[in-house]
Amino acid sequence: MIEKKYTEDHEWVQMDGDMATVGITNHAQESLGDIVFIDLPTVGKVVKAKDELCVIESVKAASDIYSPIDGEVSEVNEKLSDEAALVNQDAENEGWIFKIKVSNTDQFQDLMSLEQYLAFLEN
Amino acid sequence: MPINYKNGIINEHLRVRNQAGIFDVSHMGQILIPLTQDNIKSLEKFIPLNINNISSNKCHYSFILNSNGGILDDIMLSKITYIKNEYIYIVYNSSRKSVLEEIFKKTVRNYEIIENRCLIAIQGPESFASLKEILNLSQNMNFLNISVIQYNVSDVIISRSGYTGEDGFELSIINKHAEEFLTKLLQKNIILCGLGCRDSLRVEAGLSLYGNEINENISPIQAGLSWAIDKTRLIDNSLNCSSILTEQLNSPKSIKKIGLIPVNKTMLRANMPLCNEAKKEIGYITSGCYSPILKCSIGIGYINKISDMSEVIFVKVRDKFEELKIEKIPFIKKNYKKGDVND
Repeated sequence: MIEKKYTEDHEWVQMDGDMATVGITNHAQESLGDIVFIDLPTVGKVVKAKDELCVIESVKAASDIYSPIDGEVSEVNEKLSDEAALVNQDAENEGWIFKIKVSNTDQFQDLMSLEQYLAFLEN
Repeated sequence: MPINYKNGIINEHLRVRNQAGIFDVSHMGQILIPLTQDNIKSLEKFIPLNINNISSNKCHYSFILNSNGGILDDIMLSKITYIKNEYIYIVYNSSRKSVLEEIFKKTVRNYEIIENRCLIAIQGPESFASLKEILNLSQNMNFLNISVIQYNVSDVIISRSGYTGEDGFELSIINKHAEEFLTKLLQKNIILCGLGCRDSLRVEAGLSLYGNEINENISPIQAGLSWAIDKTRLIDNSLNCSSILTEQLNSPKSIKKIGLIPVNKTMLRANMPLCNEAKKEIGYITSGCYSPILKCSIGIGYINKISDMSEVIFVKVRDKFEELKIEKIPFIKKNYKKGDVND
């Protein structure tokens, strides 16, 4: 079953088995403005939840992207190397940033549902 | 002034380069100082211009200097006739208002800090065509000319100038007429632009920003802006820092301003350290941004002049060193409307 959840750092995490696909939310891309460069993570890197994993550079500022979950980076969206603006155009689908082979799937359940994330944005 | 309006920084930037955009820069300081010999004498203690000799109706880029030659602010100064009186009109940075206004208070007389006027910049190759439908603009107005013209039975101080490297105008207009004027302009397919593209446009054009390239500890000579100093003022003891500036002008430079482009994709930002091949720090980036024209990041920085220019330069971006190419400043060709080349 594929399930999608959200973090307080404005990332979305879509879980399929033990594979998590991660990107930034539409709200995040709107506040960042034009995204011009993404310093993608290295495949094979082992990470803990909340570790800084990559950096998104928009015309306004640099923003750190954190790993939402423990695991190992298994794939990055190479399309973003030449077309970072894809994150502005389609943040929650084509603009995914990296995939993580999750070592602790329980952590996923601690993330926010869409309703919780929307309520979080309201506050 | 917001960072950007709904079109976003890149779109706003490209509109200014290709058509025209409007900047509401009313936050900037504007002052009218009566053109008397006493006021000129006072101003010339800290402004490196010969105010009696400069031509009227012409804007001059200059500085307010401290006694060490450090830049308290960079300004646009002109002599204008306004309501039948002659004035020195100075536009200065909003971030420097308190410092400058304290200086004006102590040094010049009968001045008026302008609070009842907006300052609107229209920038881009189509700015003349759009403006002339609204204002009685002369074809003969060239880059840095300034004049007072009528709009809605009030005086508008208009100069052909700006901060983008494009042809354009800055208008000082009475507050109560500003909204109507802007509404008319916005009907001409010109969009409002924010601070974000104002910065990327000025970096592409290689223009200095107070707080980035220039500050109280850097002189115009160190900042590569000695062209804006009237050299006759350096042999004149009435300028508070003339001997320091003369010494700097005649000595090897301690720092050098350079333009930078990364070899690989990365973003240059202000205050990132610049290093040589041995990763020893040799300077820093003063301004960095994404250039929508060059489609890569660009930066301006200072390096110690003693460092060998032939060596490879790196920038430290977080924990990585990225190689840089030295580029000429400006990064783009300026598109000013010049008449006489001596202007």
